[in-house]
Amino acid sequence: MANAKDLTFPPGAELVFGPQAQRRGYVNEAIARVFAGWGFSEIILPTFDARNSDDPDAYTMIDREGRNLALRADFTEIAAKALAIELRRDARTIRACYEGRVYRFQPSGHGARVEQSQRGLEWVNVRGAIYDAATILIARECLDALGLDKAVTVICHAAFVNAALGEKGRADRALHEAIDHKNPARILELARRRGFDAKSAELLAQLPRLCGGPEVLQQAGALAQNTEARTALDELADIVKLLEAAGGLKRGVLIDLGEVRQFNYYSGMMFRIYNPEVGDDLGGGGRYDRLFDRYGMDVPAVGLGLDIARVTEALPRKDMNGEQKPVVVTPRDGLAAALKARALGKTVVLEGQ
Amino acid sequence: MLRMVLPTGRIIKEAEIFLTRAGYAPAENLAATRKLLVPSKCGRLEYLLVKPVDAPLYVEQGVAECGISGKDVLMELAPDLLEPLDLGFAKCRMAVAGRPAIVRSLDNTLSPVRVASKFPRVARLHFEKRGIPSVVFKLSGSVEIGAVLGLAHYIVDIVETGTTLRENGLVVHEEIAACSARLVVNRAAFYTQNEVVNNLMADLRKALP
Repeated sequence: MANAKDLTFPPGAELVFGPQAQRRGYVNEAIARVFAGWGFSEIILPTFDARNSDDPDAYTMIDREGRNLALRADFTEIAAKALAIELRRDARTIRACYEGRVYRFQPSGHGARVEQSQRGLEWVNVRGAIYDAATILIARECLDALGLDKAVTVICHAAFVNAALGEKGRADRALHEAIDHKNPARILELARRRGFDAKSAELLAQLPRLCGGPEVLQQAGALAQNTEARTALDELADIVKLLEAAGGLKRGVLIDLGEVRQFNYYSGMMFRIYNPEVGDDLGGGGRYDRLFDRYGMDVPAVGLGLDIARVTEALPRKDMNGEQKPVVVTPRDGLAAALKARALGKTVVLEGQ
Repeated sequence: MLRMVLPTGRIIKEAEIFLTRAGYAPAENLAATRKLLVPSKCGRLEYLLVKPVDAPLYVEQGVAECGISGKDVLMELAPDLLEPLDLGFAKCRMAVAGRPAIVRSLDNTLSPVRVASKFPRVARLHFEKRGIPSVVFKLSGSVEIGAVLGLAHYIVDIVETGTTLRENGLVVHEEIAACSARLVVNRAAFYTQNEVVNNLMADLRKALP
């Protein structure tokens, strides 16, 4: 060994081997089965694309011919581009699911991974609350299949927060941060300083409290000031009704109208899934009806993505299914012994002298 | 039961008084005990005692569901946490201070200002926002001396009464933010234990000064 330093990877790189890798495989397969069960077919997407945004968190590079490239930082945007090509060929409803890694810069010291393994789906050219509700239920089915029955689904709406923020609040980073931190005092202070009228400031300061059961929608209804906000609440009410009818409201569903952490492409309902014992969300998704606008297409769509590492972390430790004892074959036993055991469907381990 | 991180150090006594007023009196004197985990008498909270600068990390990683932290520390570390309540005690200001007249080198009029601070990130971001090139030195204590002896043109530090600054011939040039103790909550815990967290917040809100 020349140098111990040669054996390190940069912070945020993901390495998994041993039982944990096996558990990851189990999680991946369980989710893939649910997606396939809802008629989604696999799409294989590029890991990199031309760099076409100023996303400061993207990993970028330049190839030998001078092309500016960026590693995949998010699946939905790259999937939308791929599916736009497909839609131009044949406009229809598309159910596509993917699996792989995304790469996003993470400040060091917080233990966050730069490489994140995800499995998700894009449901393209579908409109209406039933597709939103179905997407949430598919995510729940994945978690149920893994025995994660304590998971909580938190539902919110991009347009509601945007309506509350108004034109001038949308680009205000400090205000976003205060809402994100659920800090009503700070929201009120900033809203006043930015010259929001008393009613709008009050609504913004109420956002952190608009979190709870379906009753939150009524509370918010009393505060909503414009049709944009009211439409958003109506959409959520429809989704909640559908979830209720499907029996999906009994366990772990919260509405949080003060959620602002979102990719800028979301336009409608959004959701995230949390599990006790895991400090961050297991994944989530939402509706993005305006994402295909950039390709000159009017295509409504919903999607969801699960973080495989965090879902694995949430898994009860003992739950590894069907581990059969391998048949150990030595070179002295010969290959024939190994092949015979394989022919019987046994797991074979060839080792020794 | 929720676990709450408390920072040892100057906040702990006020935190103990506040938590007692809110009905969450610790089973032991927090300032005196050498234990790291202390339950509340009511049994609804377990206190975890750590250095102030470490407190947010425990909550961010979900080892504790919630915690109390000074805003100064939160500004420096920028943890990904909810910060729903200003607890109103341990008040101070994050400020830029220095000698009354700052003399910068004329050899290089474009030279960056030198800044000494226990809060290097806060200092860097502040001067960046002002569009002033800066070099930030991270110090661990006695930051004032950095400005007195000319190590730095400015210091960025928390100011309570201003006595230390005055006694060292320094003045506040600019206030960056008002600081105080904050309740911080882990995002996942906020949702997965929403009712318990809401009850705790309601109790704490009633005890606000």
